[in-house]
Amino acid sequence: MDLSAVGLTVRFGALAALNRVDLEVAAGERRAVIGPNGAGKTTLLNVIAGEHRPTEGSVRLGGRDATPLPPWRRARLGLGRTFQRSTLFSQLTVADNIALAVRARNRSGWRFWPGSEDGLNQEVSRRLEAGGIEHLARRPAGRLGHGERRILEVELALAASPSALLLDEPMAGLSGDERQKTLERLRSLPKEVTVVIVEHDIDAVFALAERITVLDHGVKIADGTPTEVRANARVQEVYLGGL
Amino acid sequence: MTLGRAASARYAAFLGTLAIGLATIPLWAPRFWIYIATQALIFAIFAMSLDLLLGYAGLPSLGHAAFFGVGAYACALLALRQVDGLFPLLLVGAVAAAIVAVPIGALSLRTTGIYFLMLTLAFGQMLWGLAVNWVSLTRGTDGLIGIPRPTLVGLDAFEISLYERGAFFILCLIVAIVTFALLQMLARSPFGKTLEGIRENERRMRALGFPTVRYRFAAFVTAAAVAGIAGALAAMSNGYATPDLLYWTVSGLALVAVVVGGARSLIGPVLGAFVVLFAQLGLSTYLERWELILGAIFIAFVLFVPGGLVGLVRRA
Amino acid sequence: MDVLNLAHGSFYMVGAYIAYSVVVATNSFWLALLVAPVLLALLGAALEVVFFRRLYRHGHLAQVLLTFGFTLVFVDLIRSQFGPTTRSIAPPPGLGGAVELFGATFSAYSLFILGVAIGVGALLLLGWRFLRVGAVLRAGVEDKEMAGLLGINLPTVFTLTFAFGAGLAGLAGVVAAPEFAIYPGMDASVLILALVVVVVGGLGSIEGAIVGSALIGLGYVIGTSLFPQFAIGLIFAVMAAVLIVRPSGLLGRRS
Repeated sequence: MDLSAVGLTVRFGALAALNRVDLEVAAGERRAVIGPNGAGKTTLLNVIAGEHRPTEGSVRLGGRDATPLPPWRRARLGLGRTFQRSTLFSQLTVADNIALAVRARNRSGWRFWPGSEDGLNQEVSRRLEAGGIEHLARRPAGRLGHGERRILEVELALAASPSALLLDEPMAGLSGDERQKTLERLRSLPKEVTVVIVEHDIDAVFALAERITVLDHGVKIADGTPTEVRANARVQEVYLGGL
Repeated sequence: MTLGRAASARYAAFLGTLAIGLATIPLWAPRFWIYIATQALIFAIFAMSLDLLLGYAGLPSLGHAAFFGVGAYACALLALRQVDGLFPLLLVGAVAAAIVAVPIGALSLRTTGIYFLMLTLAFGQMLWGLAVNWVSLTRGTDGLIGIPRPTLVGLDAFEISLYERGAFFILCLIVAIVTFALLQMLARSPFGKTLEGIRENERRMRALGFPTVRYRFAAFVTAAAVAGIAGALAAMSNGYATPDLLYWTVSGLALVAVVVGGARSLIGPVLGAFVVLFAQLGLSTYLERWELILGAIFIAFVLFVPGGLVGLVRRA
Repeated sequence: MDVLNLAHGSFYMVGAYIAYSVVVATNSFWLALLVAPVLLALLGAALEVVFFRRLYRHGHLAQVLLTFGFTLVFVDLIRSQFGPTTRSIAPPPGLGGAVELFGATFSAYSLFILGVAIGVGALLLLGWRFLRVGAVLRAGVEDKEMAGLLGINLPTVFTLTFAFGAGLAGLAGVVAAPEFAIYPGMDASVLILALVVVVVGGLGSIEGAIVGSALIGLGYVIGTSLFPQFAIGLIFAVMAAVLIVRPSGLLGRRS
């Protein structure tokens, strides 16, 4: 699913967290959004996901105007997301966490009687295995270690089979080994899934992204292929030549 | 809550023993104690419905007694107009409560936390005010009196009347067991799991594609309907319906029952209801200061026993 | 403070009963007006330190349950001391009569209540604005660590706020005592009205509470004179209407 944002502006009082930001992501594209802290990256994701109403501008998902839609409607259009701070169902087991995501896609939450959910259970174990977390299936999410939590955060979003995925710093706080695994996992996603990733780990960004958008103080300062962005003078300035 | 096989077998055995133990009460208990146990069972049904809200959906309502009262008044109004039959009377209690819950839910569920508590409390008191002031319908503080208990169709042949010793108690026990079974089923269904997800993390549920407000609304109206059934039973049991049934302290006592017994267990509220009712009706015959004692017990539970009675048993 | 205290109505009730006791013992309303708020502030501080402090972490439900427990205890204690009957005290000497104003007759005591209300409201607003109490509390509720870093002693601030709130409730109880009936159960009726006022005005806003009480008071008076049966209903209708338009209250902060 392609997604686009046109002229997004978000103001908190006098402060503009986003200032006329445009974003055009083609279906199946791997896009990274980078920038220093406070550049407005998370705000951008929140606006695309529908958690934040933009002060101005519009969001389109799969060619459809999504600006007035609440988050759950956008999710039903095929938009998935992860959060910067893990938001899991901490009292539920890892398997039950994943099951909720699968039910979300199947829209089977309105069944009022229990009974066999064989198809669901099979899919849950398949997904736990694919994510390499089958050994954690029966553990409550609240008792996972930080790295395991971050991985479940991503698996939870994937379990809803999104056609476009917003990832908010999926690598934050992961060990080198865990980073590698997560990177592999993201690379193994079906080609048609659109990915927008906000990430501070620059190596991961360059390993994954086909195009990169750079934000600074709520303004888009660059947009292009990794090579173009690396060569961009403004970007080098913002990153103090560290790119 | 996922239980191991051995634990669920033990739990089933416990439930069976409890049900059979309760069923024998009319055989040995004095009349007054049968009366208290009947009131406790009715309150248990009410408390279970609150547990669906509080324990599963994470919605602490302080106005739940309004639905209890609406159920009682609806049943009373119909019974006083010569409508007979157990099912129609219980059904009208449930439907009336559910209908009233629609606008209240629509308004209060847009908020959560402290606002939700305040709104449900305010709406509950509004209905209490209506019951007091709408004298032409409710007869004000005097209440509706002389409500007959329905005759049991099909049991006439055996000449069993609900006025017979223990008969009404057994009816309440049956309704309580059915309610428990249905709510248990609901809690374990995909719908129940979805509610738990919303309680745990509403933001994530929205991001996954669940229209969370609709789910909470469904839970709210369902809980109101069950509370309405309990209210209808209360009207039949007492023979009257007064505004007291809707008063906010009744909602508060139901919260006490749920928390003292242990939320999110359905059986906890049943135990809690017996504790509350025995304190209220049992203690009050011997002691004047039962509210003081109940309040103190309650403060102690909140501070020191967060899991309630069920939590104590589980830890043991 | 982000705390829902159902026992707040109890403080009001206890204030009224203290007024009753003091007036019966010494025949001095003014002494009661001084003593009751102080006693209630002490009571509030004690309850905060011993009980409530443990519960801030546990969320609103635990607070509701705990404070509900206290309403039961308070009402029962009052009943055991004073019995279930309604009591009343006379307005203090000099305020018992009627006053002619703008061609209408008011009871002097009603005007006194009005004066106290305006005075307290003005003091609160000034304090809120200039002592930055609001800012400190908000910082404390929203980011405890940050407030600690700024050198604010939060536990003390919370205790003082709680005590101050209890004292004000007590003051209201004393002021109300000569005008309204004193009975066990007066706690609930005032609590509900206060909640409605706060919901309408908006949480965390003193101005909101003032606007809210004006609106609700007016609604109640108009309601009583137009259709006495449904005066209460009208108040709640106002509340529902406000909520439909502005779910966070008239002057509330958007969450």
